[in-house]
Amino acid sequence: MEINCETIKHLAKLSDFALSEKETEALTGDLKNIIGYISQLDELDTEGVEPTYQVFEMDNVWRDDEIIDQEASREDLLALTKEEKENQIKVPRVL
Amino acid sequence: MKYIPTIGIECHVQLSTKTKLFSEVDNDARGKEPNSCVSPVDYALPGMLPRLNGEAIKFAIRAGKAMNCKINAHSRFDRKHYFYPDSPKGYQITQFYQPIIGAGYVELPSGTKVHIEHAHLEGDAGKLTHFDNYSLVDLNRVDTPLIEIVSMPDIHSAKDAHDYCKELWRLMCFAGVTNGDLYNGNMRFDVNTSIAPEGSKKLGTRTEVKNLNSFRSVERAVEYEIARQTKILEAGEKVVQQTLGWNDATGKTTAQRSKEEAKDYRYMPEPDLPPINLSEEFIEKEAAKLPPMPADYRKKFGNVISGDTLEVLLDYPALMKKLDEVCSEYVKSMSNLFASVLLAEEKSAEYLSDLPSAKDLNELCEMNEKKELSSTATKEVFLRLFDPQMKNRGAKNIAKELGLIQENDLGALEAIIDTVLQKPETKKAQEDYKNGEEKVIGFLVGQVMKESHGKANPSAVQEILRKKLK
Repeated sequence: MEINCETIKHLAKLSDFALSEKETEALTGDLKNIIGYISQLDELDTEGVEPTYQVFEMDNVWRDDEIIDQEASREDLLALTKEEKENQIKVPRVL
Repeated sequence: MKYIPTIGIECHVQLSTKTKLFSEVDNDARGKEPNSCVSPVDYALPGMLPRLNGEAIKFAIRAGKAMNCKINAHSRFDRKHYFYPDSPKGYQITQFYQPIIGAGYVELPSGTKVHIEHAHLEGDAGKLTHFDNYSLVDLNRVDTPLIEIVSMPDIHSAKDAHDYCKELWRLMCFAGVTNGDLYNGNMRFDVNTSIAPEGSKKLGTRTEVKNLNSFRSVERAVEYEIARQTKILEAGEKVVQQTLGWNDATGKTTAQRSKEEAKDYRYMPEPDLPPINLSEEFIEKEAAKLPPMPADYRKKFGNVISGDTLEVLLDYPALMKKLDEVCSEYVKSMSNLFASVLLAEEKSAEYLSDLPSAKDLNELCEMNEKKELSSTATKEVFLRLFDPQMKNRGAKNIAKELGLIQENDLGALEAIIDTVLQKPETKKAQEDYKNGEEKVIGFLVGQVMKESHGKANPSAVQEILRKKLK
């Protein structure tokens, strides 16, 4: 898999990140390193080995269907937003 | 050239669990303020952990069984990434690789089978309201549990598309997994339509009409797409694969602005949620809770209740359940009362939530059967069974209190008739009848009814009168 500046630009666009040229270049290097490091695993023969999705060997971690009052309020949520209107989060027009 | 349409439908069903799929927050935001049913998990504060609602798994098992689907013993969650203000996490938690519900089928009233490819659990997104130059975000709906049901492309007409959606709605309502309120988006349909020349093995290019929320709009959108695509092909042009929106007012589909980039959701296993491993016993225990489904009722009552009435009643799980509790000999008359009296009432929605006991309904039908109640009186007592002031008194007492019980006791009736025939004012009518004036019998029946204070059974009175005046 080739990692280049275009890869980073594509990913940034998907996540709606604005990156400068300098940041794009730096991240390209970083991602190359990360993928390179992980790619060492490709040297192993994993034929017939079930993929590992998690390492804790837990399953069926469920909770009961009971409402619990939340400590965080709507005001706490709205305080984190740039702009609010009528108790909703105001964002630039989408679509 | 004749074209054969092929239709596949994806349906999102909001589950009516008490809490959301991944947080202990009220899942019922009806009539609540925007952003009042949210937790830090829903608005994705860094470090928040989703906690899976066990009830949603049980709901999914029941929903799957309602569609004759295999329930997968092993399933798990994945992240589907996309950037949009309706999703603070930046991804949706869904089941891309290993869904909980496997293959199955839905049988339409016509007998046509539509196969289910699979169905999976996922969280809903928030709600956006668009204005001229901004949009508002309400996160109440974030992570309401959904199951997305994916059909095989087994549908070949707009009517079957309509019937499939309606049957799905019924199945989910009967299974008790959703409130089934279409107006409020509890079920939403995405419809894929393509057409191909008759006999062609290859399917045509399909279009997807998104977010339909009524059976009628599904039917109309499919009709429109078939006509539109036929016109394009007949003009020698090509159908463009695209996502469309439906405008109910104009009755047309329109292209939605296509995303500039191809879909790239970068699915990955959800690391915060351990997998679901279900034992056979667990699945069976949950499946056993599934009440009878519409297909079961069609088998059971198909020979008793007319097809049209049955299909009307099948929109109301509570009525079918009640009908099942009523003595089998009264099912037919009860079904008529439900269809023609109860559902015609202005307050029928209110009535449906609090139906009379089977005992009262049996009593009512019995009185009608024994001719103690005329059909008009039966309807009247039936409606009183919904009257909060009267309902607790029971059908028999209500009929008595209202003086609606007809006199059927032959001895008592004869005594009343004899009294009437003794009266001088009836002598002339008796003579006239004997002389062949058939219609004066009505006058005599009237006199008896008057004497009995309206409680005599008129047809029995007439029969006795005819015998006596022979």
